Amino acid sequence: MRRGRVPWVLAVIALGVQALAGCTASAGQERVRITVATFGEFGYEPLFAEYERLNPGIDLVGRVTDFDSHHKGLITALAAGRGAADVVAVEEQYLPALRHSRDKLVDLARFGARDLAGRWAPWKWEQGVVGDAVLGLGTDMGGLAMCYRTDLMARAGLPTDRDALAALWPTWQAYAEVADRFAARVPDAKFADSAGTVYTAMLNQAEENYFRTADDAFIGDSNPAVARAFTLAGAIGAQHRTAALTTFTQPWNVGINQGAFATMTCPAWMLAQIKQAGGPGAAGTWDVTTVPGGAGNWGGSYLVVPAQGQHIEAAYAAAEWLTAPAQQKRLFESDNILPSQPEVYRDPTVLARTDPYFRDAPVGRIYAASSDAVRPNHRGVRDADIRPIFGRALGRIEDGKQTVDQAWQQAVDEAHAVLR
Amino acid sequence: MVRRTLTPYLLVAPFFVVFGAFGVFPLLRTAWVSTHRWHLISGDEGFAGLDNFRHLLADPLFYNALGNTLSIFLLATVPQLGLALGIAALLARRGPAWQVLVLVPNVVPVVAVALVFGQLLGRDYGMVNFLLGHVGVEPIAWQADRWAAHLGVAVMVMWRWTGYTALLYLAAMRSVPRELYEAAELDGAGAWHRFRVVTLPGIRPTLLFTVVASAIGGVQMFTEPQLFDGSGLAGAGGSDRQFQTVAMYLYEVGFGRFDAGYAAAMTWVLFVLCAVFTTAAVGLVRRVISR
Repeated sequence: MRRGRVPWVLAVIALGVQALAGCTASAGQERVRITVATFGEFGYEPLFAEYERLNPGIDLVGRVTDFDSHHKGLITALAAGRGAADVVAVEEQYLPALRHSRDKLVDLARFGARDLAGRWAPWKWEQGVVGDAVLGLGTDMGGLAMCYRTDLMARAGLPTDRDALAALWPTWQAYAEVADRFAARVPDAKFADSAGTVYTAMLNQAEENYFRTADDAFIGDSNPAVARAFTLAGAIGAQHRTAALTTFTQPWNVGINQGAFATMTCPAWMLAQIKQAGGPGAAGTWDVTTVPGGAGNWGGSYLVVPAQGQHIEAAYAAAEWLTAPAQQKRLFESDNILPSQPEVYRDPTVLARTDPYFRDAPVGRIYAASSDAVRPNHRGVRDADIRPIFGRALGRIEDGKQTVDQAWQQAVDEAHAVLR
Repeated sequence: MVRRTLTPYLLVAPFFVVFGAFGVFPLLRTAWVSTHRWHLISGDEGFAGLDNFRHLLADPLFYNALGNTLSIFLLATVPQLGLALGIAALLARRGPAWQVLVLVPNVVPVVAVALVFGQLLGRDYGMVNFLLGHVGVEPIAWQADRWAAHLGVAVMVMWRWTGYTALLYLAAMRSVPRELYEAAELDGAGAWHRFRVVTLPGIRPTLLFTVVASAIGGVQMFTEPQLFDGSGLAGAGGSDRQFQTVAMYLYEVGFGRFDAGYAAAMTWVLFVLCAVFTTAAVGLVRRVISR
């Protein structure tokens, strides 16, 4: 679950509206009113009604905004000490920043959340834990696969069958070699959408990237995993194997629609984006297969309980229920939201799920296999400050402004300056 | 008796209350925050004296943003004011329908303008590159190239404000006494000469006002360049910050990196810059159009 369309400047307005909306949340006479703030599409509305039926005396009220407004609003509310909803969804990229301010969130272990640890894939649970405090309960996840266009693969003389293609790229090095073969045969389309997505996928497969797990020290300039990912993705970009389109932008959507590139790393929630951008006419052109490196994760969210809430215990109860296996399974069935709990994603009905838009690809099986193999991936508290710096460095390579070495050097310098 | 002396104060009080709450208080609060290490969420993390300012004055990214701001301001304002003068001179001989027409770009919300221009100036699927292709010009990476990006943002600003400025000039031109023109004509001054010696000095106060307004707007330029970056609020003005203005850098530091102390220091420097910039611009115009 990630950003959909983004009405940016509304973000600013939403800050104010959200602050106002929060003030009214404590009304209500006998009934306890719990607000649940989410972004994009969580599919919670039917669950709210059921929860109210099961728990007389509780009103669950949903509040949905877009990705950017939602998170900026949460941060403003936490800074101001008021205005946050009782239960708030947080996307994984914002989670490290909240670890910096963990006293603003309820330690869910107080209410026995530790006993629930076994529900989630270990890496998913770990991301929501800081030291001995439990800050978030996992909702969905973004198991990683590779989406590809069969028509472009056929033109390049590459296999269109998903298993045969996956066999060609067990590693990212092999993926780069397939990119070379593709470029030699198809001059008018690129192999990948951007160097940044390749880089991010590689980086998230490493256990450590910019910060050391042990003491959260910056190691982005010395960690071989980072340098390897940057060099490989940078080379793909420098050789113009990518369409140089930034994910979620308008040109990127057009690129999906027009077949500007043949492959893109593809977390579970991305399938909906491709369908939307490709339109019904593109049904059967895209397919899904295993990502180089075998596994990965990109995105997925948590429910947290801000400490400023009036009813934190009732809020915890609601968050616990909303993320419980039974509800995760229902959300997968109703809205295709990928569960983060092995018990659920290994359920036969989930495993058997295929998607007709993607040539009946066994998406249930592919994403379950990818998620099973994910290893916990440490993200430093200041991860979000560093990540875009290296992303922009790859952009400079793709724009032809800098060589891989120059871009790397500038990124490392900038990272040191930011971390003063 | 008491009531009589109180009434005038009560009448002006709303202004001062609003100004105090939204003008003075933020200014002082920002000054306080700027002397601390201040995390946006966690709050005060200790007194830092002038550290934030010292760091800012040695920050190459700040100077990069400053240079971009200045460049975009000049690219947008100089042609804009010139064009507005020309349009105003033409409008002086046309009916009111034309005056409405030139104001239309100004009432279109800036977000809509930015989105439309962002699409027109797209690298791969933009209309402008498509048309340039027909006359044999290679596609321009509007966002990637520094000067192309500055030009793109400047065009947006010009598009929005030229008509508005022209109307201000028009109103000022109407108030220049007829007799001056007649006297000049009797003295044998041509149309251009009359414009230079009668019209321009006549509308001098309005010229100064528009320069001040553009200078303040230029220093604080945010929405147009921020949305020119396809990645929206998350953007930093291009992969090399080639069109990041000071206000955008401020936003990145304060709301992206949560470094409120540093952002507050930058706000104050921006405030001072605004004053300096405006004074310089006014001085320049005063000199150019001397009485």
